Amino acid sequence: MIRFFLKLWDDFKEYIILVVLLIFSLFTLSLNKTPEIKNLKALAFGSFAAVTSVVSDITNIAKIKSENKRLLRTNAELMLEINRFRQYGIQNIELKNLLGLKESTKYPLIPGVVVSKTFSTSQSAITLNVGKNDGIKPGMPVIDDQGFVGIVYDISDDFCIVRTLINIDIKVTVKDERSRIDGIMKWNGDNLVIVDVPKTYDVKTGDRIITSEISSIVPIPLPVGVVSGITNVSTGIFNEAKVQPFVDFNKVENVFVIGIVESVQKNKLELNFYNRK
Amino acid sequence: MRSEYIYPILIFFPVLVIQTTIIPFISLNGTIPDLIIILLVFYTLRNGQIYGTVLGFAYGLLFDLFTGSLLGSSMLAKTLAGFVAGYFANENKIEIYFKSYNFALIVLLCSVINSVINAFFSNVEFNSNLIVMIFQLGLLPGFYTAVISLISIIFYPRRNFT
Repeated sequence: MIRFFLKLWDDFKEYIILVVLLIFSLFTLSLNKTPEIKNLKALAFGSFAAVTSVVSDITNIAKIKSENKRLLRTNAELMLEINRFRQYGIQNIELKNLLGLKESTKYPLIPGVVVSKTFSTSQSAITLNVGKNDGIKPGMPVIDDQGFVGIVYDISDDFCIVRTLINIDIKVTVKDERSRIDGIMKWNGDNLVIVDVPKTYDVKTGDRIITSEISSIVPIPLPVGVVSGITNVSTGIFNEAKVQPFVDFNKVENVFVIGIVESVQKNKLELNFYNRK
Repeated sequence: MRSEYIYPILIFFPVLVIQTTIIPFISLNGTIPDLIIILLVFYTLRNGQIYGTVLGFAYGLLFDLFTGSLLGSSMLAKTLAGFVAGYFANENKIEIYFKSYNFALIVLLCSVINSVINAFFSNVEFNSNLIVMIFQLGLLPGFYTAVISLISIIFYPRRNFT
């Protein structure tokens, strides 16, 4: 019997090792949600991000000149835009006073720099140089000067991992800014799409898409992108709207984490409302 | 411990730093080369199939841990890539394989396997043509990695292969 197993091992050891390692990998895939693995990953990527932040700083210095030029132009454009918004703001205050609306909350912005990026067709993520010590919590939205970038997924003391919109695990409730129609947007591995849009809904190519206030992840309106096309499904009653994001995820470097997490109190209140008899 | 076990792990860390910080700057429409695969093929050709399979597993584990990606996906993909690269490991043919175009072809094959498996294990909705998807997710990163491997092998001193 032992000789049989020894012969088997001699003849097929490459395959036996391969199968064992593949089974172990598949088993590990199922452990991703366990707290022990999450802690281990947070510790590992926290230590690694400390190293990549140094390299990232060096590469950023080389890019500062061109970045500065771009920011000067953006600054000028924003100044013009602010002037326009100031007018709208004055009108808005007057209208709010008339309607007796509550003053909008000002959200804290925590600046962060991308220290490393993980590119994958389906699991794109970035690591920022801000973490628990800076007040970052999982679930906080991340933006840059163009718009919505992603959601904080995992944190260590000084770093955090952000799942970008081009990640199949993120589904966001968005709104057509023109027609005020809500929908669920997700990454399908190829495009950002708003799924199950009824054919009768008024969504057109070129419409701006923002996050919806009914979203359980991002309850404030953030610019996401524009509708780049409607996929007409010949059968059924739903279409898909392709969305071209404002953010270039390959080039994102400086971001802000918005210091809000969806209100637990609000969720509980809504749950009580739905559960009442 | 023998150097053939230590060096590949020591070299992995600076390569991973370059992979996550500098390589994104040379992305072409979101496609980036995978330096880890080049390293894996290089060491597998020198040390054999079992070595390559285990090294692929170790590289995948470290990659998943340090980049915060789905633990297990790269382990699986890189273990298989290392195993396939091991079929080309032969002491008598090592000089032939390290001629640039041969090395690039092996890197292309392993990189395609790695990319396609990674894509399949990420639950992407394959609602478009499967051939097109394999081309986009597997062949494009594979070609890019193979081109970069050509550059790296040109600068590698010939005498080290003998």
